[in-house]
Amino acid sequence: MAGDEERDDTITTPGEVVGHFSSLIPGRGTYLCHKNHRDIYASLTGHCKITPPSPTSTDKRSTIEIVGHKSHGAIPETGSIVIARVTKVMSKMASADIMCVGAKSVKEKFSGTIRQQDVRATEIDKVDMYASFHPGDIVRALVLSLGDSRAYFLSTAKNELGVVSAQSTSGSGDTMVPISWTEMQCPTTGQVEQRKVAKVV
Amino acid sequence: MEVKSTPSQQPNLLIDQAIVPGDVVLHLSNISTNKIKLGLGLRQDADTIKATNMGLLKHSRPNKYWVESSTKRYIPTAGDAVLGIVIDSKPDNFVLDIKGPNLAFLPVLAFEGGTRKNIPKYEVGTLVYVRVVKANKIMNPEVACTDANGKSAEFGSLKDGYMFETSTGLSQMLLSSPTCPVLDALGKKLSFELAVGLNGRVWVDASSPEAVVLVSNSIMNSEFLSDTQQKIMVKTLLKKIEL
Repeated sequence: MAGDEERDDTITTPGEVVGHFSSLIPGRGTYLCHKNHRDIYASLTGHCKITPPSPTSTDKRSTIEIVGHKSHGAIPETGSIVIARVTKVMSKMASADIMCVGAKSVKEKFSGTIRQQDVRATEIDKVDMYASFHPGDIVRALVLSLGDSRAYFLSTAKNELGVVSAQSTSGSGDTMVPISWTEMQCPTTGQVEQRKVAKVV
Repeated sequence: MEVKSTPSQQPNLLIDQAIVPGDVVLHLSNISTNKIKLGLGLRQDADTIKATNMGLLKHSRPNKYWVESSTKRYIPTAGDAVLGIVIDSKPDNFVLDIKGPNLAFLPVLAFEGGTRKNIPKYEVGTLVYVRVVKANKIMNPEVACTDANGKSAEFGSLKDGYMFETSTGLSQMLLSSPTCPVLDALGKKLSFELAVGLNGRVWVDASSPEAVVLVSNSIMNSEFLSDTQQKIMVKTLLKKIEL
């Protein structure tokens, strides 16, 4: 399979041998088996693409990678801005389900955690989670890191990050209007609630 | 049934009366003071104040209104003293059942002079008298075994004795001042220890089992009795053990 052109007609599936280490460098979507350091295996479904080596590199082998695989929606990366819906608020952190990464929506469930110290930039030990988020709020947040196995770590510690939309807990349940960076107001009942509000320009 | 929503209704007539959800309690156009404090069970609806809970309308000078009601289920409120039962213990806090919609967290350090070295060993099932520190709709309530100044003030685990459950209204009556007649009458003849939780749990301890049973039964009977009826009821029960 170590041809020099992209094969559009055959699909490669994970586990297939796509080349030999002596003639190709494994790229994205491929790996070397630890038992047998000679065969390059595919780890994604797609088409093989072989890129010739750059003229400046010492290694004269081409790189093989798997392309054209269906991308299942967006995936949050460190530093990306995400839109999430708050699911649970606890005394030291809030959990949120990530719905969009940038402008694209995600196709599978990603969980995020906003810790008490990442809610805002000032006076981080005096943060009251109840006065920052409520379950059901839509927040814009920044991905700090991949976090632990359960959830990404998110931050709202910037002016443009925080709650963008929230429902009033008064009887009407209308969408509240922001009145400052710490308060939102229900338009029908006038009830003011505290949130960490995002400054939307 | 008389409709209680005429605009000329004076608020005084509804105070200490039974109201149901939907009753108009106040018309803001008729009120002289410009600030009214609404407590539990009342909500502003345009320019009227309406009741959302069933109970007695209470008023305290100059401008506080609230609805007092008795429920079997407790809604945690900051500042209340309640009786909790330990359900679980986690590294940082004990998990208590306080008869509310959520379980409460008691931090292991929330004791007078509490450090990592002297954490109390509360097993599952321990009855603890605690104070609610923080409570709202969305989070688990946080409780502590200290008062607001950090002193232990009788909070902590309750050993021996007998605990029974009542409505929140009876707990409020037992804690009212001046002392309610049933406790007054019992205290004259018996000596016993009593802890009342606003979440509808009461703990009694006395030197003999008969006294514990008598005190518990008297309290449970007294909920809907008038003052004189309570005194008579206690007298009848005390006669049974020749006191």
